[in-house]
Amino acid sequence: MTLIVESGYEFWNPIIWLIAFAVVMVIVYFFRRRGEEKYKKGEAQAQIFLCGEEVPGAEQRQVRGGNAYWGFFETLKEYYDVIVRPHTGIVNDYVVWFIAVVAISAIILFVVELVG
Amino acid sequence: MATLIGHSSILIIAVPLLIAFLTPLIGMASKKARNAIVIGGLAFVAFLVFALARDVILNGIHIYTLGATFPGLTIPEGTMVPVRIILEVDGVSVFMGIIVAIVSLVAVIYSLSAMKGETGQNSFYTLLLLMVGSTFGMVFTGDLFNLFVFLEIASISGAALIASRTRFADSQEGGFKYIVVSAIASLMILFAIGLLYAQYNLLNIGALAAAIQYTMLDRIALVILISAFVMKLGGVPMHMWLSDTYSVAPVSITVLLIAASQASMYALMRICFTLYGVTLDLAVVGWIIIAIGILSMFTGVTMAVRQTDITRLIAYNCVCEAGFMLVGLGVGLAVLGDVTALRTYGTTAISGAIFHMINHALFEGLLFLVAGAIFYRIGTRDLNQMGGLGHTMKFTAMFFLLGALASSGIPPFNGFASKILIYESVYQFNPILTIIGILVSIITLAVFVKAFFSAFTGASLPKYEDIKEVPKTMIAAMTILAVIIIIFGLFPGLVVDWIVRPATDALLGQTSYINAIVGVIP
Repeated sequence: MTLIVESGYEFWNPIIWLIAFAVVMVIVYFFRRRGEEKYKKGEAQAQIFLCGEEVPGAEQRQVRGGNAYWGFFETLKEYYDVIVRPHTGIVNDYVVWFIAVVAISAIILFVVELVG
Repeated sequence: MATLIGHSSILIIAVPLLIAFLTPLIGMASKKARNAIVIGGLAFVAFLVFALARDVILNGIHIYTLGATFPGLTIPEGTMVPVRIILEVDGVSVFMGIIVAIVSLVAVIYSLSAMKGETGQNSFYTLLLLMVGSTFGMVFTGDLFNLFVFLEIASISGAALIASRTRFADSQEGGFKYIVVSAIASLMILFAIGLLYAQYNLLNIGALAAAIQYTMLDRIALVILISAFVMKLGGVPMHMWLSDTYSVAPVSITVLLIAASQASMYALMRICFTLYGVTLDLAVVGWIIIAIGILSMFTGVTMAVRQTDITRLIAYNCVCEAGFMLVGLGVGLAVLGDVTALRTYGTTAISGAIFHMINHALFEGLLFLVAGAIFYRIGTRDLNQMGGLGHTMKFTAMFFLLGALASSGIPPFNGFASKILIYESVYQFNPILTIIGILVSIITLAVFVKAFFSAFTGASLPKYEDIKEVPKTMIAAMTILAVIIIIFGLFPGLVVDWIVRPATDALLGQTSYINAIVGVIP
């Protein structure tokens, strides 16, 4: 019995990983302590600055989930056109996919049997 | 204690079923008494599962023949074959039992507050217990027909539970879709069982495995069984029902649906490794399962990343995670006949898939409970309507982060431990599969960064400023899963040694499974 997971190729020991993580955190803390100490919460230096423009309210500032990864979806538009199309939400189509998988799997199995 | 363990396999199924029918009666007198008996009953069942697990791991396969003069009498006097209902619990069955025990207890604790204002709670708990009992039945039975019966009970109770919040139209639609898909799958499974029964006059899995010839009809039955169980576990391209149902069910039920899907994964493994074993075209069937797994991983994650409904996002991620398990399982199956490859990496691939099953139930369960907590407080699942919830729902935010990191395979969480087993073993079979897996994990992280960023970060929105953290029982349910995720993440070696390796050995030990049935002569 061991705390290590062995894949037969390498191993994974989270305790070693945690020790390494702790060492990195100590180094990060060391650099952080060397930073500016005069920061004061709630004063002008903690306010949002938009080149002097009025800062919009929280509702307007929030980047919504639907806007995230816009570039990713634009780049993969053609892929998404193809992949979204079968997701019709119609249960009849779900059953058709099941029949298709049964048919294709059966054909593969029988063709391999005939060839073999 | 020995007597209790001796009867534990049937008690684990019977106790939830018995309490299910007592619940409406007790509920009419006192809601607190009803809740207490439901939680107490499932806690007792969980205790039995762990006691049985210890017994199975130490002493081997546990057989329980209903109606026999003693539980181990599988073949009655005057007959040549097993004809009674037989429960056969080995390492992999009991591993599944542990998943169902943990998940069902958490689901009930969470439901105490989450379902408090809902109507029809007596029926809700009755159906929930029926589903739990039947899921235990699916993983403990040694009989194909009983597998079908328990699958039917789980499907019917599951559909009713999905549609239980009658004020939501989408819940009704989700319940309808679930019952249609489940009924099709169940009927096809029954048809396949009929094909096997017609040839061998047997329904017992062990006895059938000893007799199976891999005839043309056996091949047809195999294709139907694999396709039906893959549909039930949400493999692409038969996954579309999953996001429609998981997203609209009460989240405590979604957690149980995940356990039910895992039971279908178990059935798939049982069919491939125990029933057919080395008789089937291992490379072909293995590659069919790998192909479905890769499709599930990639389609699931790319569909998840574009969702703006948080529960649909997690549901598509479930499809993706099922893909990882299928790939591990497929690789193990493809090299089942090659002793060297099986020993070098095949066993590890199967262990990775099995380990990922319990991890998947834990972290996806936690993520769904978090999504339910958000819905409980703000009444929407739409990420576009959320923002800054981390200011007021600190525990919920922390739990989401934990589940998201575990699901994305970030060390040192449990998802990483099982994924690394799959990656490294599958790499030796075909490096491209591992590369796809790592890419999918990276996109999974992007999926949850989007969800976490949209829901919890940013300035506190005025409309949610007065939102409070969810009730303590919901926090307690999420804490249980979070603690197990951390323990499994920090001590994966112990989990693998104690429950995963025995499950893998049981799955590969077809002869032991057969001998446990046909080897006992009256």
